[in-house]
Amino acid sequence: MTIEYLPLDASADTGVAVRVDHVNKRFRLYHERNQSLKSAIMRRRKSVYEDRWALRDVSFDVPRGSTFGLIGSNGSGKSTLLKCLTKIYWPESGTITATGRVAGLLEVGSGFHPELSGLENIYLNGSILGMSRKELDEKRDDIIEFAGVGAYIDQPVKNYSSGMYVRLGFAIAINVNPDILVVDEVLAVGDAEFQEKCRQKFADLKQQGRTVILVSHSMDLVTQMCDHAAWLQNGEVRAVGEAGPVIDGYLGFVGGGSR
Amino acid sequence: MNYLKEIWASRELLANLTLRDIRGQYKRTIIGRLWSLVNPLAAMLIYTLVFSFIIRVQPDPGDPSGLDIFAVWLLCGLLPWNFFAMTVQTSMGSIIANTGLVQKVYFNRLVLPLASVGAIGFNWLFEMGVLLVTLVLCGAFVWPWIPLVALTMVILAAFATGIGLMLSIANVHFRDTQYLIGIVMQIWMYLTPVIYPINLMQAQSDRIGTIPGTGFTLIDLYRLNPMERFVEIFRNLLYDNRWPDGGTMLYVTVAALLSLVLGLWVFRSNERKLAEAL
Repeated sequence: MTIEYLPLDASADTGVAVRVDHVNKRFRLYHERNQSLKSAIMRRRKSVYEDRWALRDVSFDVPRGSTFGLIGSNGSGKSTLLKCLTKIYWPESGTITATGRVAGLLEVGSGFHPELSGLENIYLNGSILGMSRKELDEKRDDIIEFAGVGAYIDQPVKNYSSGMYVRLGFAIAINVNPDILVVDEVLAVGDAEFQEKCRQKFADLKQQGRTVILVSHSMDLVTQMCDHAAWLQNGEVRAVGEAGPVIDGYLGFVGGGSR
Repeated sequence: MNYLKEIWASRELLANLTLRDIRGQYKRTIIGRLWSLVNPLAAMLIYTLVFSFIIRVQPDPGDPSGLDIFAVWLLCGLLPWNFFAMTVQTSMGSIIANTGLVQKVYFNRLVLPLASVGAIGFNWLFEMGVLLVTLVLCGAFVWPWIPLVALTMVILAAFATGIGLMLSIANVHFRDTQYLIGIVMQIWMYLTPVIYPINLMQAQSDRIGTIPGTGFTLIDLYRLNPMERFVEIFRNLLYDNRWPDGGTMLYVTVAALLSLVLGLWVFRSNERKLAEAL
């Protein structure tokens, strides 16, 4: 069970940005859990639990430079897989090898301190996402501009509207400029204008040869943006490859099989 | 070794999180950082009233400094104790307080407890600075001892960090930990000569003599407590203005190293499971 981030070396690039190899991830569902010391000591027996495999023997490659969609119904393991890719969860077995810098965008604005100003939060959040002070000094103007919060940048973020809050969070994350960006349905935020900006930014990333892995329930979005996709069902890979056939397979399954 | 490298790589994040805690702490208060001084001052007034005025506890005058002021004597032990207790309690809760971050972003989790140590340490520096000024005004000759005071502060911080790291993991699995530790800290404080001088304990120990069947005296057991040694060192340096005992210095250094290594080991072997366990 390893998750490895290797440095990107252009000359030795194999064309695979992320290799997911026989990954298994288990969650324990506790029926009777010893959540306090008292119950652990008094009951003198182990917790009663059931294992649920959120990911079962998942393997696929994400080609470098692709925009890769992860699709599937609720509870199919998409988000768990994303969290494994970003090192938040560790799989029970299997390996994930990513070549290049990975940044996760699972929630925007996590780690903002409400009493601190927008600018202070850019530095704080940026360093949580792994940016150095020097990088942030260079990028802060881009971030402020992208988020469109210029006039409010010295205000505490608690005074921001929810839209501004999310836009600032997104602007910071997207400016990490990772080789591999992992995104969980955050595009559904912000107004139409901001969404257009995001789409443009994703297109730019693609142009620069960066890899985007995207989880979404919106098939329109996946069809529009992704060139490759994987379909997860109950923790297993049902189909993987070119986006078109995978999406058709999934839609066929949802439309016919399950109803 | 690799782990140390990883920690070093996270130093900017650590600095930023510490700054977040420091800047965020006294926002929207009128007197701001002065609040950091109000707590020890209030404690000083209460303890001085109860223990010096009512119960008439009399610590020995500083030797060779000649100081004989209960309130100052008290602060020399109380400020390090408060730092220790606050550090343990805050770093213990630091993972839970940042649940949202831990579940959504990957970063070296160690920075969370370390940042709370940093923020509390910053306040402590401020408090110790005020104490130094007070000592000088009272006529103590503290200047030559400042480097050694700083060194002891670092050793105490390492000791507190190690304990905080272990407890932060325990607290994620059993939330009882934080309530239990609240009580333990109270007991621990009274088992440490913070608000009474150790010679009262020595007198009781001499009266009882050797504990039957063990060969130890009460004071031997009492002095196993590393915090007793820390308080002694701080009083030697600040209040008495003399060299602390070499053996005592060695004792606290070993205790701090043990605590830190054990704390890092416990933290490291559990940090991957934190996001799930929360």
